[in-house]
Amino acid sequence: MKKELLLITAIISCTFSYKAQEEEKKIVSETFSNVHIINGHSTETLKKREWRYIISHRFGDMLGDLGGVQTGFGFDNAADIRMGFDMALTDKIMFGFARMKGASQPYTSLLEGYAKYRFLTQTEDNSMPISASFTTSMYGTYMNSSEDITSVTNFERFSHRLMYSSQLTIAKKFHPRFSMALMPSFVHRNLVEQNDQNSLVALGAAARIRLSKSIGIIGEYFYAFNQSGLRQDYTNSIGVAMEWITNGHHFTINFTNARGFGELQYIALTQSDWLEGEFRLGFSISRTFKY
Amino acid sequence: MTITYLILTTMKFKNNILFLLIVSSAIGYGFIYSSSSEIEKIEVLSSEIENQNLVDIEIALGGEKPNHYMKEFDPELAEAGELLIKEGKASYKGKNGSLISSYFNCTDCHNLVKETESLTDLDPQHRLDYLVKNDLPYTPGSTFYGIYNRNKYYNDDYDKKYGALVIDARDTLENAIQLCAEYCASGRPLVDWELNAIMHYYKSQELKLKDLNLSDSELSKIQASVKKGGQDKEALEVLQSKYVQAYGATFTGAKAESQRKYGEGGDVENGKKIYESGCMFCHKNSRVTFLNLDDDVLSGQYLWKHRKGYDDLSVYQVVRWGTYPIVGRQQYMPLYTKEKMSKEQLEDLMSYIKELAKK
Repeated sequence: MKKELLLITAIISCTFSYKAQEEEKKIVSETFSNVHIINGHSTETLKKREWRYIISHRFGDMLGDLGGVQTGFGFDNAADIRMGFDMALTDKIMFGFARMKGASQPYTSLLEGYAKYRFLTQTEDNSMPISASFTTSMYGTYMNSSEDITSVTNFERFSHRLMYSSQLTIAKKFHPRFSMALMPSFVHRNLVEQNDQNSLVALGAAARIRLSKSIGIIGEYFYAFNQSGLRQDYTNSIGVAMEWITNGHHFTINFTNARGFGELQYIALTQSDWLEGEFRLGFSISRTFKY
Repeated sequence: MTITYLILTTMKFKNNILFLLIVSSAIGYGFIYSSSSEIEKIEVLSSEIENQNLVDIEIALGGEKPNHYMKEFDPELAEAGELLIKEGKASYKGKNGSLISSYFNCTDCHNLVKETESLTDLDPQHRLDYLVKNDLPYTPGSTFYGIYNRNKYYNDDYDKKYGALVIDARDTLENAIQLCAEYCASGRPLVDWELNAIMHYYKSQELKLKDLNLSDSELSKIQASVKKGGQDKEALEVLQSKYVQAYGATFTGAKAESQRKYGEGGDVENGKKIYESGCMFCHKNSRVTFLNLDDDVLSGQYLWKHRKGYDDLSVYQVVRWGTYPIVGRQQYMPLYTKEKMSKEQLEDLMSYIKELAKK
């Protein structure tokens, strides 16, 4: 126990010592321009005394069996809708809360709460070459429990309604126009179907090219490791987006095969295949305020 | 008199001459005592005259006592005032203040130390050079250094921005502080102890005679005048010529497009100084505003692209007009007056932005 306490104290001391040094150096800003990249978390956090409201929407499949002209290329359907509220405690610690419609794969009526800590910030003199943050999220569904006892939405216990995820984001701004990020992630669900596994490990990668101060293009891919050979019906999420940054607003228009928001859905529950036209248009609008 | 009467009656003195002698002696002794204590006071003043508060010397020389003149000074309150100015929030003797403004601290627009080598130097280029040399931000507002010794605030064209609000603030420091807290900082009015704390902080930073860099002969002359008992208008004028009592503020408006040189012939290095110590002070890492600026090609291209026209994105416009707070975005850009940034400096800034855009 004493050793553990010493270790924790040492880690905290190192973090604060680094923080003190960092304040004296010029830090690299806008590695990514928002708290999220497309699906994954960036290393950016809101600043102290800032809060943000975000609305995100994903339409139905553009092409494939459920898309095409008959559904207005997916505009007739809403795969998922997320309304979130984020707030910063300090310049490096923030938390958020969101309500999601849920992409019905299989969950609906999802709630998400997350906390993020940016513990490293890249500096201009490269004495700290990367930025890094850690995000931990918790999800819960309040959908009606299924009467089908074989269904994963038959919640015998309250804990069956809960899911968790953690994501480490390591990012670097290589050039004012180019940034990259790696996102090792972990998702855990208390109850899964027979051909699924409770805990999943995934690795995400993202890159952003800025065409101008206001416009950027982003690509993002998450590879979920399938340790047990199960999960044959699931696919990896891939997305491209265009972002537009204004003085306080942030807009993205994206195309992705992931139907749902949150690590729970886009890492663990994506089943759409981009090559079969099962990708969709989505957008997000966020507005940051000071309080 | 009562004491003398009592003594006389008690001792039953009936000799009038003796009575007069005693009273005269007492009065005489009292006069002598009084004169010697006055001399002592002046000697103390003379021996430490350089460390005396400038305002006290001015009053001794016949100057007008400022309406914010403070006799008492509480260092603890001054500390709270410093916190309010630097961090926007302080506590004092169990009173916990809330944040004055979510958007600005005083130090976002005002330095707390002197901004030029000489206290009478109003040249914006000298100010910029001094600030850069001392690693200080190139702020649009005047320094708080010596504000206790000033008697006019929100001068000249500030009525164009704040209208009738400046009337009461122009000659009263407390009102100027309140105007700044509530309107300039998009915050709230200060409560009494907070206002008092800021006043005490200003008092702690007031000018001393030594700050004026007087020549030996000027100092001797002032010493002599104080020794004589003051009321020396000439000496007072000498003192007041050594520092600024009121900073001018001329709003030039945005330069007409036809007159803009767009950085042609400007001093790129000087423009870089303005950009890094001025623009970046608030915009770097979105410290005060949501508009993030860096010394990179993207920021350069953004500012260069919007150089024309008269909207908020044009540097020519926004430097001279600033922006206004709006609902949902109370942080705004204050303007640079002609006294704080010259026309030439603005062109220098544009020439640097042009270079930055090419990187």
